[in-house]
Amino acid sequence: MIRLLKILEFALSSLGRRKFKNFSIIVVYSLTITALASVLLLTSSLKKTALNVLVDGPNIVVQRLAGGRHDLIPTDYARIIEKIPGVGRVKPRIWGYYYDSLYHANYTILGIDRGSEQFAMVEGKTPAGDEQCMVGQGVAEAQHAEPGMDLLLINSKGIGYSCEISGTFKAKSALWTNDLIVFTTGALKRFFTMPDGLATDITVEVFNAGEVALVAQKIKRLLPDTRPITIDEILHTYESIFNWRSGMMLTIFTSSLLAFSILAWDKATGISREEKREIGILKAIGWDTGDVLTLKLCEGAVISVTAFLIGISLAYIHVFLLNAPLLVPVLKGWSVLFPRFHPVPYIDGYQIIILGFLTIVPYMASTVLPSWKAAITDPENAMRGV
Amino acid sequence: MAGIIQVERISKYYNRNQPDEVRALSDIHLTIAAGEALVVNGASGCGKTTLLGLVGCMSRPTSGSVLVDGRDVSRLPERFLGDIRRRTFGFIFQQLNLIKSISVLENTLLPLYPGKLSMKEMKIRAEEILARFDLNTRAGEKVSRLSGGEQQRVAIARALIHQPQVIIADEPTAHLDSVLAAELLDILSGLNREGKTVLIATHDPFVSNHSLIDRVIRMRDGRIID
Repeated sequence: MIRLLKILEFALSSLGRRKFKNFSIIVVYSLTITALASVLLLTSSLKKTALNVLVDGPNIVVQRLAGGRHDLIPTDYARIIEKIPGVGRVKPRIWGYYYDSLYHANYTILGIDRGSEQFAMVEGKTPAGDEQCMVGQGVAEAQHAEPGMDLLLINSKGIGYSCEISGTFKAKSALWTNDLIVFTTGALKRFFTMPDGLATDITVEVFNAGEVALVAQKIKRLLPDTRPITIDEILHTYESIFNWRSGMMLTIFTSSLLAFSILAWDKATGISREEKREIGILKAIGWDTGDVLTLKLCEGAVISVTAFLIGISLAYIHVFLLNAPLLVPVLKGWSVLFPRFHPVPYIDGYQIIILGFLTIVPYMASTVLPSWKAAITDPENAMRGV
Repeated sequence: MAGIIQVERISKYYNRNQPDEVRALSDIHLTIAAGEALVVNGASGCGKTTLLGLVGCMSRPTSGSVLVDGRDVSRLPERFLGDIRRRTFGFIFQQLNLIKSISVLENTLLPLYPGKLSMKEMKIRAEEILARFDLNTRAGEKVSRLSGGEQQRVAIARALIHQPQVIIADEPTAHLDSVLAAELLDILSGLNREGKTVLIATHDPFVSNHSLIDRVIRMRDGRIID
């Protein structure tokens, strides 16, 4: 242990002697890690946020299809679904999209029952009446609005519609609520001019999570013009979207990893005459091959671990403190509006370990291999740089 | 007195079986007793440095054997030789082979890093030896800032810090004026009196004729002639 600490001390001193070279390697290495880790951190955060929100949501969403197109669903269907054994709360839902031509943004508008407790993640109050609404942070920022102020929209008849903002959603649910405007169901019906007895879709809760697929099959059998979408299907869709997007970004960043690998390979295929000479001197004065390899391992470990930690820290700052300005346009945005999105800090340890393995190990190998080649030659030859 | 080093009929070729093959040593037979001070004398290129390298386990003979303390080291894998070099030999190279970008202290400490001494013990020992060579005030300076003579003394300090049994010096006076050369030989004499074996390669008659020296062997064209 003492020997290792002493060689580590010498390694640090040795690294200090080649400041510019080692600093350059750390910069390139850190930026590569930052790029790759940013994609992984943001994707993990988006997935985690989606999962957190969806887990608390309904087990099944039932839509009606007319000619393969999503159509309004009769609220009577809820009573049929309620009778299926194992089904809990069944609720018709009214929602839709709204394009705000003034701010060039799409909002999602949702109706809830007056005094509903379904939104726990709120600052302020849920709408107490038809003249009130609740908005996501993105909407509030886009409109420069806050609780107590009025929100002005154009309804389906082309008439201006004003409502008081009673509250905003917390950042924690931003993935889900950022572009959301919530009215009371009655207000939204009037806003969309929807006939009575119809809803956008129906949400279904199932007591036993293991029976969700079975209940979905029964709904489809009882109501053939419907399309029951289970929570697993929604999660799978999100997963696929984020994986596809992060895969796309990782493909792009693979080029930087490739460039780094070339750098590492270049280092692996040879060391300078001066480095060989130093290895020769160390061998000549009594260091054995293992000591030289330990020294080079320490040097490689210090550089790669330092660069890795810097890279991960920069990625964390980029994603969670600066809101990933370089990645957000590609990785999120399933709707148009995401003027400001605050990813929830979440780190998938497994991914970080894999990233560390894929970058630290090759770099360490590239450091140790050429030194090993020099270390197994006779000191006399190594000192001559042969 | 038992020979600490026995060289038995060794030959050394460079670029063996190639058009530019060089025969550096031929059929060398030599025994060096413990505590002996021996000079290997000869013109440049006669094979002195090669012989010292083989004796000091820095390279391997093409044929023949080198025995250190009765153990044949000429066929040992490289991984075992580091320990033998560290325990047995202290080298003073002709080109000094200091690492010029690190300090006097760090250069002096180099042989001790793989050993068992703690950093504190290492530094105490380094301070003692640097004081002995009047280098204690320059311990923190980079070697590149030192004069040739001072660099030579750093090389000697480094060769001695791990208290080797055998000191091997290749043209140790090559970079020194007559005063410093005399000083160096006095140091080597002192070490020899302490029981160290001293092996010097030189073509400097001042060294060969010094009272320190017990025996002089002469080489020409890779062979011992006298």
